[in-house]
Amino acid sequence: MYKLLDQKAITKIQAIIIAVVIIIAAICGGLAYYFMTLPPAKGEIVIGGSLPLTGIYSDTGKWIEKGYRYWADEINAKGGLLGKPVRLIIYDDESDVSKATSYLEKAITVDKVDLLLGGYPGTACVAQMAVAEKYHMVYVSMGGHMASFSQGYKYSFGAPPLMGEWWATGFVQFLGSLPSGVRPKSAAIITMDNVIGRACRTSMEPLKDLGISIVLDERYALPVTYETIVSLVSRAKAANAELFFANGFFDDGVMTIRACMELGYEPKAIFQSVGCIIPEWVTQLGKYGNYVFSGTPLHWKLPYVKDERPDLIEYCQKTYGGPPPQYFLFGYCWMQVLQKAVEGVGRIDQDAIKDWLRTHTVHCLAGDLTFDEKGLPQPYSYCTQIINGTVELIWPLNVRTAEPIYPRPNWSNY
Amino acid sequence: MTLTSLVQSFVYGLLTGGLYASLGIGFSLTWGSAKLLNIAHPTFSILACYIAYWLQIMIGMDPFNAILLITPLFFLLGIILYVSLIRLVCRAKDVTFTSMIFTVGLAVFLENLISFMWSPSPKVMVSQYTGASFIIANIHIPINLLLSFFISLALIATTYFFIYKTFLGKAVRATWQNPDAAALYGINKNFVTMIMFGLAIATGGAAGVCFALISSFYPALHNTWIIYLFIVVIMGGVGSVYGTLAGGMLLGLFNSIVGLFIPNSWLPFIVYVALIILLWVRPEGLFKA
Repeated sequence: MYKLLDQKAITKIQAIIIAVVIIIAAICGGLAYYFMTLPPAKGEIVIGGSLPLTGIYSDTGKWIEKGYRYWADEINAKGGLLGKPVRLIIYDDESDVSKATSYLEKAITVDKVDLLLGGYPGTACVAQMAVAEKYHMVYVSMGGHMASFSQGYKYSFGAPPLMGEWWATGFVQFLGSLPSGVRPKSAAIITMDNVIGRACRTSMEPLKDLGISIVLDERYALPVTYETIVSLVSRAKAANAELFFANGFFDDGVMTIRACMELGYEPKAIFQSVGCIIPEWVTQLGKYGNYVFSGTPLHWKLPYVKDERPDLIEYCQKTYGGPPPQYFLFGYCWMQVLQKAVEGVGRIDQDAIKDWLRTHTVHCLAGDLTFDEKGLPQPYSYCTQIINGTVELIWPLNVRTAEPIYPRPNWSNY
Repeated sequence: MTLTSLVQSFVYGLLTGGLYASLGIGFSLTWGSAKLLNIAHPTFSILACYIAYWLQIMIGMDPFNAILLITPLFFLLGIILYVSLIRLVCRAKDVTFTSMIFTVGLAVFLENLISFMWSPSPKVMVSQYTGASFIIANIHIPINLLLSFFISLALIATTYFFIYKTFLGKAVRATWQNPDAAALYGINKNFVTMIMFGLAIATGGAAGVCFALISSFYPALHNTWIIYLFIVVIMGGVGSVYGTLAGGMLLGLFNSIVGLFIPNSWLPFIVYVALIILLWVRPEGLFKA
């Protein structure tokens, strides 16, 4: 007892205890690391990457994950990919771009995955595309607008991509289809001053070819304040712009709609780019979100989904109580394209998969996609309009699901 | 640019400026008087937005009515927070630095709590006046914004009255100017600071609901609002009620009018340059506390 209380003896005992604890912890850690980072077991195909499952983008990220998992369950039920079961490793990057790149690198170097999963949002994709390129692995995702596909990458594909540069393509074509007497003569464009806003602004260049003059073309810095948006809308109204284009995020879009209402600005049509593609546009804005035009590369009412894959719609109706959200379809579609390439090649060979995608047309939920040197399909965008709280397809005519409301009713008639 | 656009922008700048001031008044008060730098102040405003939204969804309560409920509720919340946590921070040697570190953590906690309860996706709140405006000489004055402006003025007036016209307010100022002398006069430092902290959180909550009527909101929005708060309070003078009002108005007018003459994308740059020049000329801000 005396010895135990002796300073030296206690130190020795403590030292032994600490040493034992450290050794046990090291062994446990090593074992955990070994079992958690096991290379793919023979007879299975591991596909890995990261998604924002928590944080600011998590609502959307979770829908992409659901799309991925539905695809994995479906293919496993059919006997697997190349006859092998598929296992997904999806890390939560917490909506953080640096974590998204770290996790993708971990999936490649530690988990030794066979194939990669596309990330979200565009900012994460841009960073992950560089990682995929470094390790020469095929990366199918939405990408981060044209800038990300103009880096000379060979292994990145947008299948389909979410391209700001194509956003208004369908809407401009719709305007072109209007008789010249009905077609608007002037447009006002307000654009958030970042890479996405500028990309979307590019898609409005062909307006000039239709004889539509741009009477206001302003960029604003983010974060934008309400009074700044009001000031811009006030100028669009003063210029009597018949079309109003808002290239902003959801918050800017909401402020734009409110400013238009409060100022009594009644353009014939309002076009909103990225801000209105999240479900909250309809669920949160309610009737005031109606009649807004936009663009999309993918929609559940497209014949490639509605007619060819009614099981997807039925599954979402039954499981989530509604039709498949856009990002569920994105997740599924990216895996579908990857699957077709792997099956086309007949083995897991990144270079062969990459070459196969560049030389074949892939039929998927987005239609028939043929990829160019940048990894992009031909420029396309379906024009949409929100009518009675539902996103309807307006253009091209062969996919139209509802008659467009043009010109839009006055605010008092909403 | 037309005269109508100019006047219209001026009206909106003035009205939203009042909202910035009411959002900043509590922040300025705790920082200037008690040296408490509450980084979580706008996070409480966001929490108030969600509570008002929730009340609207659950029982159909109009946001303006919700303010009547949220203001006393947040006063109570501020008092509980002070008694349980902030009081300990006030014992630190450097209250400003310690409170800043502590409330950064509090803001992160609150943001995650809000995300957990209501999801990180944005929300939009409407009132019975959404989209409605008075029109005077072709100038639109939105009812939502006008009501919010009056509420903001009432919050600022209440704060002014408390600080300068009540014994408690004078006691707060005395305590933090000279704690020992105030104690000799029998002033309970903890009690007066607690009341002031409760008032700050209550004004922040009410102002948050007003802001939710002009823009959407999401849990991480406090990161943007804190920038506005710093601009408003530093421009006006830390701890000054007049200064916060002037700072808010200036920011609102700057954002709405400067963009009529220069590209809007330069606006943040111009605002920060103006702030630097102001601090260079008057380091204490426009008004002294």
